[in-house]
Amino acid sequence: MGKGFLKLFSSKKSDDTSKPVSQVEFLRDFLSKHNYVFSNDFQKNLEILKRKHLVDSFVVTNFDGSIVAASEDTSQSEAIMGTAMLSYIKSELSDSEAVLIKREEGWFMLFALDKKVFIVRAGSELASIELKSLALELSILLEENKEALKKERKIIG
Amino acid sequence: MARVIAIASGKGGTGKTTLTANLGICLAKLGKKVLLIDADVAMANLSLILGMQSSPITLHDVLLGEAQVHDSIYDGPQGIHFIPSGLSLDNYKRVDSERLSGLVSELTDNYDFILLDAAAGIEKNVLSALSSAQETLLVTMPTSPAIADALKTKLVAQRLGSKVMGVVINFVMGEKGEISKQEAAGILELPVLGIVPFDAEVRKSFMQQKVAPVSLRKTSSDAAREFQKIASRLTGIKVAESKIENQGFFSKLFGKFKK
Repeated sequence: MGKGFLKLFSSKKSDDTSKPVSQVEFLRDFLSKHNYVFSNDFQKNLEILKRKHLVDSFVVTNFDGSIVAASEDTSQSEAIMGTAMLSYIKSELSDSEAVLIKREEGWFMLFALDKKVFIVRAGSELASIELKSLALELSILLEENKEALKKERKIIG
Repeated sequence: MARVIAIASGKGGTGKTTLTANLGICLAKLGKKVLLIDADVAMANLSLILGMQSSPITLHDVLLGEAQVHDSIYDGPQGIHFIPSGLSLDNYKRVDSERLSGLVSELTDNYDFILLDAAAGIEKNVLSALSSAQETLLVTMPTSPAIADALKTKLVAQRLGSKVMGVVINFVMGEKGEISKQEAAGILELPVLGIVPFDAEVRKSFMQQKVAPVSLRKTSSDAAREFQKIASRLTGIKVAESKIENQGFFSKLFGKFKK
């Protein structure tokens, strides 16, 4: 019994630790850089989506290649090329979900959802789960923008 | 309709699998129908913690399209159901973890809670687990590297559309240098749903002839009591403190002498 009693107290080590204050501050600051607050400005929201999903650019097109929305102004050639390529691959491999192409300047990814084609450029490849979540968020933004434009037109009319 | 919760941390060794097993058992004790899925397809070990390592049909077989999901469900302790991942590395590279989401949605009508034990890191099979769950519960430790990884996991989960419900801080020893509950909540901008103390009984649970989670083997231990409180917070079912077996100072002291 005495042995157990002594063991209990001898095992109590002194606490020589102290709070890593600068690291706590660093971590506090980290999250503030990843705050994604959407506004009524559609083009700004596209920029926020780019940062949130860690991609360089994206274009949303119809299957005929016409642009629905784009994060950059110079996306026409990408839209036509991407849509044509996806249509060709879908015609040959109808069950393909996404097309990922490694190019010198990064990855070029094609994904179809709800009759739209999502063309994404990024430094590293995205899993189709990530492409889908980006496409879903973009679809919501597009829908919200469409509603806002409708309302605007009604007010003007 | 089940609440599907991914248990993730970013960092390895924070106690994701231990929390998944014990939380599942505690939810079952509250009368909930619970399914645990080992979504760590590369380093599966939830089956070892539950003492159910010899399960012939696993998540690997289902994801490979070689078995039906219902054939991979096993009866676990305390009435929980369990889908193990394969322990062998043979099929791991062939498995398409992105099919997990479809599999989970087939099962939501049968349970109150489906808990997905995610892998460490933020690689593809973790993304699959996070995107299969409407909610994510983070597990971390009171140290800056663990909190940093939890922070990144939170951002990834949000990007995938999973709502991060809160954080559990594990391995708390009460040392001065530990990041406090308030600081962790402030950094992660999340509610702290549990503070699990460092408890040797958790480790000892793996060192038995018949392995069983601490919430079954030693319900009076500090960790087991905290797991029960977390389950209670998740369900909103209040459990009287006396029901969670209490162990006072003197019983702990005399317990030491008995050893």
